[in-house]
Amino acid sequence: MKKYLEISKAYMKAQLIWRSDTFVDVILAVAKILFAWILWSILFEGKEQIAGFGFQAMFSYYIVSSYLFQLEKSAEISQQMTGMLRNGTFSKYMVIPVQTQGYFVAMEAGKIAFSAGIGLFTTVLWFYLFRIPFVLTANLKILSCGIIMVVLGLLFMAELNYFLGILTLKFEEISTFLMIKDNFSAFVTGAVIPLALLPEWIIEGMRFLPFYYVTYLPSMLFIGKCEEEAITGLLVLSVWCLIFLVLNQVTYEHYRIKYDGAGI
Amino acid sequence: MKIIETENLTKKYKRYKKQEGLTGSIKGLFHREYEEKIAVDAFNMEVNKGEFIGLIGPNGAGKTTLVKMLTGIIAPTSGKIQVMGFYPNKLEKAFKQQYAVVMGQKSQLFFELTAEDTLRLFKEIYRIPEDEYKRNKDFFVDLFQVQELMNVQVRTLSLGERMKMELIVALLHNPKILFLDEPTIGLDAVAGKQIRTFLKDVNESRGTTILLTSHYMEDIKVLCKRSIVVNHGRKIYDGDTDLLFERYQKSKKMTIYFAHSVEPDVPEYCRVLEKANDKLVLEIPKQNAEKVLESYIGHYPIRDIGIEEEEIGSVVERIYKGV
Repeated sequence: MKKYLEISKAYMKAQLIWRSDTFVDVILAVAKILFAWILWSILFEGKEQIAGFGFQAMFSYYIVSSYLFQLEKSAEISQQMTGMLRNGTFSKYMVIPVQTQGYFVAMEAGKIAFSAGIGLFTTVLWFYLFRIPFVLTANLKILSCGIIMVVLGLLFMAELNYFLGILTLKFEEISTFLMIKDNFSAFVTGAVIPLALLPEWIIEGMRFLPFYYVTYLPSMLFIGKCEEEAITGLLVLSVWCLIFLVLNQVTYEHYRIKYDGAGI
Repeated sequence: MKIIETENLTKKYKRYKKQEGLTGSIKGLFHREYEEKIAVDAFNMEVNKGEFIGLIGPNGAGKTTLVKMLTGIIAPTSGKIQVMGFYPNKLEKAFKQQYAVVMGQKSQLFFELTAEDTLRLFKEIYRIPEDEYKRNKDFFVDLFQVQELMNVQVRTLSLGERMKMELIVALLHNPKILFLDEPTIGLDAVAGKQIRTFLKDVNESRGTTILLTSHYMEDIKVLCKRSIVVNHGRKIYDGDTDLLFERYQKSKKMTIYFAHSVEPDVPEYCRVLEKANDKLVLEIPKQNAEKVLESYIGHYPIRDIGIEEEEIGSVVERIYKGV
């Protein structure tokens, strides 16, 4: 475990080298809050509620969900893996005593920890300085569920992208798979068409898929909504994480033995 | 004690043979023809503990494929292979703990961080106890005299300095076998010599078995007592390095820069490779090199002279033809 922590630490340190990126991250976090404040103030003019949300709840939901959305950068795992397999540098991970899945997840965790820290610090400071009202659940159990769900959600996305990266060993070109993943993810999170337009049984079915619990549900839990779904969410995400943990191990072992690519 | 053993080790690749043009590309959507390429062919090899072996051969000879099989990166198609008692492609942790690979293009260093940061990471990856880590680090840092570079960002290091750090990272966990692929490529003469001295020292003082792949004759000559020559996936020579060069290296390349434009005489047994106003490049039979050198030094105003060993491809070709 310590080696994976050290890998995370190394990638976090590597992120901190770029000072201008760090400052831009801070500025973007501030700009996002400012933009959200202006946007929702305009939309709420003369209204008490929109879609069952008051101004403070909506503003808080927007900040939390966009913060979580910004943390989810795991697509770079599959892109990096496919690039390294094809240009012949992936084998450097195969010859050291680490599990490649663990290495890539730890790498991602290190990068996320950096963005999460910067984003959280800036947001909290901004809210505190300008006394911006923020809706946060007072229920500690729900808050803990939300935090664990965020961690599991990010872990699941890292595992999913690692799986897609492994497929390079078999298919060499995985952009189609990445496109399917992006479209499917957009569909089940309601980004393509509002979920409310779909038949109830489809929406219910989606509750068994992990994407709903990656950013949407934890955001709702943090602002004190959908609390009854917290345990189901944790269970569903845990099962998906376990499935992909095993699937990745089996798939990697299966394909790496067969892989002849001149690249690696 | 045998540390590496292969018997009839073979690796075949299947590659897609695409017909030319757009029609060929469209046909390829429905029907594909594959051809088989034998990269390593019935290769037998035995390496004893502590040996320093040179693996020589032209590009595409099968050296890299062989190293990939020995390190477990790819699986052999057939034949037997054991490295330190392990079947490499199982990539067991205990196996990976005992060897290291340094390949020019596959740097283990973090370019944004310092070499010290990468060493710390590898300490954890290989679970090296703190006292052993300090001892090894101090030993290698001292050997290379790179104390002042340890806290410098890797991306700002020169190629030679980076290779030194790469070697320190690879040797930190005391590997029993070190696989090296072109460690001196692109380095200047001074850095190349430092790397060679370092490797010789590591092999002698630590008993590390080293398998070196290089196109530089100088590397092989200075470091490897034994050489294995590979061509078309087959072993065509396995034996004493001095004997190899004595028997098959027939000529030297001499580059002479004159102080001003001259019209030099060229002995009939020399082949002119390049001739300009103040520059002459000759291929000279090995036994005549000294005589030619003396004759030019005595008769012409010389600015600079360089003598190089014959390139590896010619030597391999000669072994292959049995000339």
